[in-house]
Amino acid sequence: MKINVMTDILEANDRIATANSGVFNKQRNLVLNLMSSPGAGKTSLLEKTGEALKGNLRLGVIAGDIETSRDAERLEKHNLPVVQLTTGSACHLDANMIASALPHIDLKKIDILVIENVGNLVCPAEFKLGEHYKIMILSVTEGDEKPLKYPLMFRESSLLLINKIDLLKYTNFNLKEAKANARRVHPDLDIIDISCATGEGISDWISWLNQHYQKKFGTKTRA
Amino acid sequence: MHEMAIARNIVNIAVAAAEKEGARKITRVNVVAGELRGIVQAQLVFSFGLMAENTIASGAYLDLETTLVMGKCKKCGETFVVKDYRYVCPKCQSDDIQALSGTELRVKDIEVE
Repeated sequence: MKINVMTDILEANDRIATANSGVFNKQRNLVLNLMSSPGAGKTSLLEKTGEALKGNLRLGVIAGDIETSRDAERLEKHNLPVVQLTTGSACHLDANMIASALPHIDLKKIDILVIENVGNLVCPAEFKLGEHYKIMILSVTEGDEKPLKYPLMFRESSLLLINKIDLLKYTNFNLKEAKANARRVHPDLDIIDISCATGEGISDWISWLNQHYQKKFGTKTRA
Repeated sequence: MHEMAIARNIVNIAVAAAEKEGARKITRVNVVAGELRGIVQAQLVFSFGLMAENTIASGAYLDLETTLVMGKCKKCGETFVVKDYRYVCPKCQSDDIQALSGTELRVKDIEVE
């Protein structure tokens, strides 16, 4: 006997993601799911962002890491509210892990919540967490062909940060080619060139954050 | 290895659907996945076999049907297969393309005894 099913395989995850999203909207948290390969600069970006946002929007972080809490320790030094999720062998975060982290973070004290996903260009793109935007980092040491090798992540992301542009002269990374490849996969993709080492482009990234916060929640009114 | 998480969900969905109909054994599960999902068939079949152990889906055949990435041009209305992730209309060269398919991921149907 044949039984029609027609059920989305990630439905259970998506249901929890929708519930997470409801919590974030109520607390007026702009939530970003930050993805990249390992070593692209996710934690460095958050360190820079925390400094650059001081006195303006308040940053909080949920950091996913396979075994250690090193990322969380780095961020705590900057006085950022951080929850560490140790994922064990999992290669991505899912909505349920985020739901379980929420009681451990005071969302009322946060305007922008960045969920630092596990370093991986494949699996994290599959799982909605309840975020408003997926964003990703590609660093110049990884190669300009990556958008064509990992199209789903580039397709799902709203913003691509190209990091380590201070190293361009030491690599054969072609910035123009990288952007063309990324826009081939996703024509509407926003792209910002940055260097977490020199601070170049960080102000453009902060403008992006401000714009998208305002777009979602209007001008910040909270004291 | 997101195939493992996906396989676990496939087993859960198939078993729930079978039990609802009072079936005792699942013999086949038909899954549809868009090309953009990047599912590795061999890994999914292997993971499904592991996850199905000790359930009524144990030993079931998993069929994976991959759907092409399709786009529709918002300018001229042309519908076309997106090859190599090039979201450009082959007729009018516009890059204002609506994605029609390629990211679906679902259990289509199951066969039970």
